Amino acid sequence: MIDARPAVEQVQAAFTQAITEVCAVHGVPMLRVKKQDLPTIAHFLHTNPGLRGSLSLLWAVDHRPREARYELCYLFTLAERKDWLLLATDLYGDEREFPSITPHLHAAKWYEREIRDLFGLIPVGHPDLRRLVRHEHWPKGSHPLKKDFPWDRVLGRVQGEYAFRKIHGEGVFEVPVGPIHAGIIEPGHFRFSVAGEPIMQLEVRHFWTHRGVEKLFEQQRLTEAVPLSERVSGDTSVGHSLAYCQAVETLQGVEVSPRARYLRTLFLELERLHNHIGDVGAICNDTAYALAHAHCGRMKEQLMQLNDRLTGSRFLRGVNCVGGVALDLSGLQLAQVEVELNTLEQDFSAIEKIVFANASLTERLENTGILTEGIAWDHAVIGVVGRASGIDRDLRRDRPFAAYDVLQPKVALYRYGDVRARMRVRLDEIHESIRLIREVRRGLPLGRLVTRPMHEAQSGVWALSAVEGWRGEILYVVMVGEAGRIHRCKVRDPSFVNWPAIQWAALGNIVPDFPLINKSFNLSYAGNDL
Amino acid sequence: MFRILKKSLQTGVVTGQHPAGGAPSEPVSQDAIEKAKPFRRSMTIREVDTGSCNACEMEMNALANPVYDVERFGVHIAASPRHADALVVTGPVTVNMERALKDVYKATPDPKIVIAVGDCAVTCGMFKGSYAVTGPVDRHIPVDVRIPGCPPRPAEILAVLAKLRQDDPDADT
Repeated sequence: MIDARPAVEQVQAAFTQAITEVCAVHGVPMLRVKKQDLPTIAHFLHTNPGLRGSLSLLWAVDHRPREARYELCYLFTLAERKDWLLLATDLYGDEREFPSITPHLHAAKWYEREIRDLFGLIPVGHPDLRRLVRHEHWPKGSHPLKKDFPWDRVLGRVQGEYAFRKIHGEGVFEVPVGPIHAGIIEPGHFRFSVAGEPIMQLEVRHFWTHRGVEKLFEQQRLTEAVPLSERVSGDTSVGHSLAYCQAVETLQGVEVSPRARYLRTLFLELERLHNHIGDVGAICNDTAYALAHAHCGRMKEQLMQLNDRLTGSRFLRGVNCVGGVALDLSGLQLAQVEVELNTLEQDFSAIEKIVFANASLTERLENTGILTEGIAWDHAVIGVVGRASGIDRDLRRDRPFAAYDVLQPKVALYRYGDVRARMRVRLDEIHESIRLIREVRRGLPLGRLVTRPMHEAQSGVWALSAVEGWRGEILYVVMVGEAGRIHRCKVRDPSFVNWPAIQWAALGNIVPDFPLINKSFNLSYAGNDL
Repeated sequence: MFRILKKSLQTGVVTGQHPAGGAPSEPVSQDAIEKAKPFRRSMTIREVDTGSCNACEMEMNALANPVYDVERFGVHIAASPRHADALVVTGPVTVNMERALKDVYKATPDPKIVIAVGDCAVTCGMFKGSYAVTGPVDRHIPVDVRIPGCPPRPAEILAVLAKLRQDDPDADT
């Protein structure tokens, strides 16, 4: 029997003793629980058939100097209710340990390792406490997101080596790849254990491009950090800056004007469009089908030049600002956009036909790099990759932002989880993006671009914001510090969630197919490493 | 087959269909031009990302698309630094990438030139001062050419590469 009561009530009823406070943060219900009860409550949320919670975000906050307290927050997306629920717990004084929930939820694995590296808090019971963000050459005891760690102190190097998981046996050998790869891509390390050609194990070792983004946010003023958010992951400039701006707007009580909402939708879809088209070309290129790659490269370039003409930036940087958008588009410009996209859609459809008529190409895509729905669910996989594996989640529909409450996008969903499915999701979303941009043009209301804040953001308050970028869910938690500064900014690019899943998708495939699988995920290294 | 040919004929030649790059915002020094002399007719590039946000990578990749088609100038992208004449470095050099950058520099055979692409590689950009950043690039390896911009447009990168080829007697530009 499925319990129809609100999630909060269900948890309260089941764990009366464990809950110390029930409240809501900007509309998201939050339960403060005793830390020793965290694993059981998390397990309950995850496995209860009427809730089916998946861990969307786990972050820590160091509340010093205001009080000697670390706070841990767990954001669950309840799949059955398309709703959020927050769990929070506190570590006071010298407490440094908290119970790990990873034994119950795979999805918590990297978050807890990250918290251990950046805050020095220890997830007790975690099955894998190797370092994640801080590579082995970082001195012991250096935890950069603690408030007493200076933002600009570069530490010396010590000796140390990462212990990769080993598979022993006759004929088993290791293939190390990276951090510098063969193509023009970002740095990351992949360690394959193979017997012959099939991959027996893949271990991803990332965080080479860790730049200290979250600490840099803490040096900024609330209203001035938009350019930094655009540079978290360059190909997602609009997605990240929009998520950041929305969080600040919640904190300042700003109701963004309808026109700005529509324009934000337009820019976000333009970003989705040029990235998806580039990805389709790149997937074809990794099957050595240069023709489709060339055509897609040409169309992507056409879109980036369009971006440049509209906004002065090929990456649409500088369009989002706190309170709205920084630039307007004229009716003439919008008409030009529509004309250009109409030709582009025809152009692209022709390429689609050519691609799917090519049996030697589709043969490479089918059954390659399968990520099953079960594994995707266990790892809380999201975005394009999730939707190709049957995870029916899209924030544009589930928690509408910008103008998506009016425009209502259709969500692409495939179940097979192979490279072809991931490509198909992108193809569907390309057409849907073009349709949405047409709708924006048709429905674009008049009005101001920037709305002034209702009030100053209150110190100590935080807000959560979510945007469905082209890769998937981008989450930002922004907490206000003293004098309009940022106390804490948690950035979560979808790549951080999906990287561990690629280790599963690669299993059993041959090494030469890995680049293809990797391309079909196309995750950001910079957005992951921060 | 017919469909493919039809598409190609309809599309025509798109190479060069981009706004002009303009003069390089940071002049290319005579020393760099002199150093690049052996590579005037053919230059093989190895790209290294030392912590960029990936926008610079996207623009470097764009150089290879049919619109910019950098191969027509004899510029190739190599998969290994051992095959490279020039290193293109992007990003502010993170603590974690510092050693890899130095290794790549050593692995690249002489003579070689180093081109720093993007504000981060040139000055560390927004990431200047961070605990995780030890750049800019010229703190670790000698840099010959700097192409600032966040990120520089592909046409701007092309313009600098053209500058490095300028003394080629057979060059058509």
